[in-house]
Amino acid sequence: MRVLLVEDDPMIGESVHKGLQQDGFAVDWVRDGVSAEAAWRANPFDVMLLDLGLPRKDGLEVLRALRRAGQDLPVLVVTARDAVRDRVAGLDAGADDYLVKPFDLDELAARIRALLRRRGGRADPLMRHGDLALNPATKEVHRAGEPVALSPREFALLEALLDRPGAVLSRAQLEERIYGWGQEVESNAVEVHIHALRRKLGTDFIRNVRGVGYKV
Amino acid sequence: MTSIRRKLLVWLLGALLIAGMVAAWGVYRQARAELDEVFDYHLRQMALALRDRNFEGLIVDPAELTDEFDFVIQVWSRDGVRMYFSRPHTGLPNQARLGFDTVQTEAGLWRVFATQERGITIQVAQPMSVRNRLAATSAFNTLSPFLLLLPFLGLIVWFVVGRELRSLETVARAINVRTASALDPLPATALPEEVRPLVDALNDLLQRLARVLAVQRDFVADAAHELRTPLAALMLQIQLAERAASEPERTAAFAVVRSGLARATRVVEQLLTLARQSPDTAERVTEPVDLAALARLVVAERSALADANGVDLGVTGVDSLTIEGEPEGLRILLGNLIDNALRYAARAGRVDVSVRRDGDAALLEVIDDGPGIPAPERERVFDRFYRRPGSESPGSGLGLAIVSNIALRHRARITLDDAPEGTGLAVRVLFSGQK
Repeated sequence: MRVLLVEDDPMIGESVHKGLQQDGFAVDWVRDGVSAEAAWRANPFDVMLLDLGLPRKDGLEVLRALRRAGQDLPVLVVTARDAVRDRVAGLDAGADDYLVKPFDLDELAARIRALLRRRGGRADPLMRHGDLALNPATKEVHRAGEPVALSPREFALLEALLDRPGAVLSRAQLEERIYGWGQEVESNAVEVHIHALRRKLGTDFIRNVRGVGYKV
Repeated sequence: MTSIRRKLLVWLLGALLIAGMVAAWGVYRQARAELDEVFDYHLRQMALALRDRNFEGLIVDPAELTDEFDFVIQVWSRDGVRMYFSRPHTGLPNQARLGFDTVQTEAGLWRVFATQERGITIQVAQPMSVRNRLAATSAFNTLSPFLLLLPFLGLIVWFVVGRELRSLETVARAINVRTASALDPLPATALPEEVRPLVDALNDLLQRLARVLAVQRDFVADAAHELRTPLAALMLQIQLAERAASEPERTAAFAVVRSGLARATRVVEQLLTLARQSPDTAERVTEPVDLAALARLVVAERSALADANGVDLGVTGVDSLTIEGEPEGLRILLGNLIDNALRYAARAGRVDVSVRRDGDAALLEVIDDGPGIPAPERERVFDRFYRRPGSESPGSGLGLAIVSNIALRHRARITLDDAPEGTGLAVRVLFSGQK
C-alpha cells in the first residue's frame, strides 16, 4: 500500500516514514503543500496523511484542491489543531479521518488500514479470496486455516492484488504499490515476488494476463 | 470614613450660618450709624427747645420722656446750681462740655448734648444701650429667617445629595454582580458628569485587562499547540525505539529520542523566556549596560556552537557604549539573534556582531551571510510561532518573538535588511534616546 505523507516537521516526518515502512507501507514523504499537490497529481497513492499547518500551501487548501480534482484518495488529516471547529473544517473539506498529535504509530497504521478497507467497500477487516484470508493488521495470511509465511514484499504484493480482485494490475502499478520513492527496484523484482507467491499459494492463484499484468 | 453627604451638609449649613451672621453684623453696624444720627439730632433738638423755657418750677411731663428713649434732662443756673433734673440717674456727669460728648459712667456709655443760653446750661443725655438695643433688634430680624430656614435647608441638602450619590451605588452594584471574567464596559449613560470620569477610568482599566487576558489566553493556547509537535515527535521516536530489533538499532533510536527531548525542552524554555520577557510584565530593574562588553560576552558564549557549525563568528566594530537596560534581557536578545544567524549562515560562513554609535543612538548589529529573508516576510518573522516555510532546522518559532518583546521593553527599534555585501541578513537593533 502506497502512502503519501505530507509533514513539514522533520522529526515527525522521519519517525512516521520509518514506522509505516516497518508496518509494510510504501511511504513517500513531502514537506510542503505545493509538493504534496505535485505528488498526488503525478503518482497513484492508496492513502494520504496530511498535516494542516504546512509551508507554502495550507493543508486544507491541498485537500480542497484534491477533492475539486475529483480524486477520491482517502485522506487522513494528522494535525495538532484539535479544536472541534478545526476537525469539522477538516472533515468538511473532504478528509476521511482526523488524528490529533501526539498520536500512536499503531493507531495511525490501524486508521490507515480502516480507510483502505472502507475504500475497498469491505466491512470485514480480513481480505478474503477463496479459502485465503489476509489480515492487513497482523500481516498474517491463512490458507484453509493454515498459516502461510510471506516476506513483507510478498505480503504487500498479495495485498495489492486482493484489494481489487479480478482487476489486472500492471507490473508498474504493482511496483508503485510496494515501493516508495528512492527505493531501489530491481528490474524483475515483481516477477521474483510473484514467482515466490505462486510457489507458496499454488500456480493458479495468481494469473498472468500476458503483456498486461497480473490478477487474482 | 468620610461621608460626602455629611461633609456637604456641614459645609453648606456652616457657610449659610456664617453668611447670615455677617449680614446681621452689617445690618447692626448700619442701624447703629443711622440711629446715632437720628438720636443725636433728637438730643440737640430737645436741648434747643428747652432753652426758651422758664425753669423755675418747671415740670416736664414725664410721659413726654418715654422709657424707650430714656432721656435725662439737667438744667443748671449760672451759679452752678442744678435747677432741674428730669429723672434721677446715678453716675451721670454733672457738668459736661458744651456740644456732643460720649461719657463713660458706672451705668455704661451715655451720649450727652449740652448747650448754654443766658447763663443757663441745659444738658440732655441718653444711654447708648438704647441705641445698641434698637440696632441689635434690627440685626436679629435680619438673621432670624436664616435660622428658621436652616433645618429645612439641611433636610433638602441631605435628600438631594443622597439622591445624586445613588448613581455611585448603581455603579458599585454593577461591579459587584460581575464575574471575574466579565470585562465588558460598565454602562456610562445617564451618569452625572462627576461620576463619569470614574466609570470611564474603570472602563479603560477593564479594556486593558481584557486585552492582557486575551493575549494571555492566546499565548497559552499557542503554547499548548506548539508543544504538541515536539511531543508528537517524541512519542513516535520512543515507539520506534521500542520496536527496534537489534542493539545497534535501539542505540540509534534512543539517540533520536534524545534529540527529540532536547527539542521539546528548548521549546519549553523558550516559552518560559517569552513569558518572562513579555512587555506587560511588571517590575523591571534597569541598570547601565556596557553594550561592547555584552557583545563580547555573548559571542564568547556562542563560539563553541559556531565552531560546531563551522561558522566564523566574531565581533567587528566596537564603540564603547553604555545604555540603561536589563542586562539579562539584552543578553537573551543578542544571544537569540546570534543563534538565528548561526543557524542560517552559509556553510563555512561568517557572522559579524558590532556595536556602533549612530548619532544619539546605540546600534547593535548582527550580520550573517545566509540566504537572507525576502522583504515581504520580514514583518512576519517576529510573530510568535512563525516559522519560515521550508526552513529545515526545527526552531521553536519563538526566538524573534522574544527578541521583539525585549526590544519593545527597551524602546528599541529592530530592522531587518539585506547584508551590506552579497546575500545574508543584517539585523539592527537601535536603542535611541537613552544616552
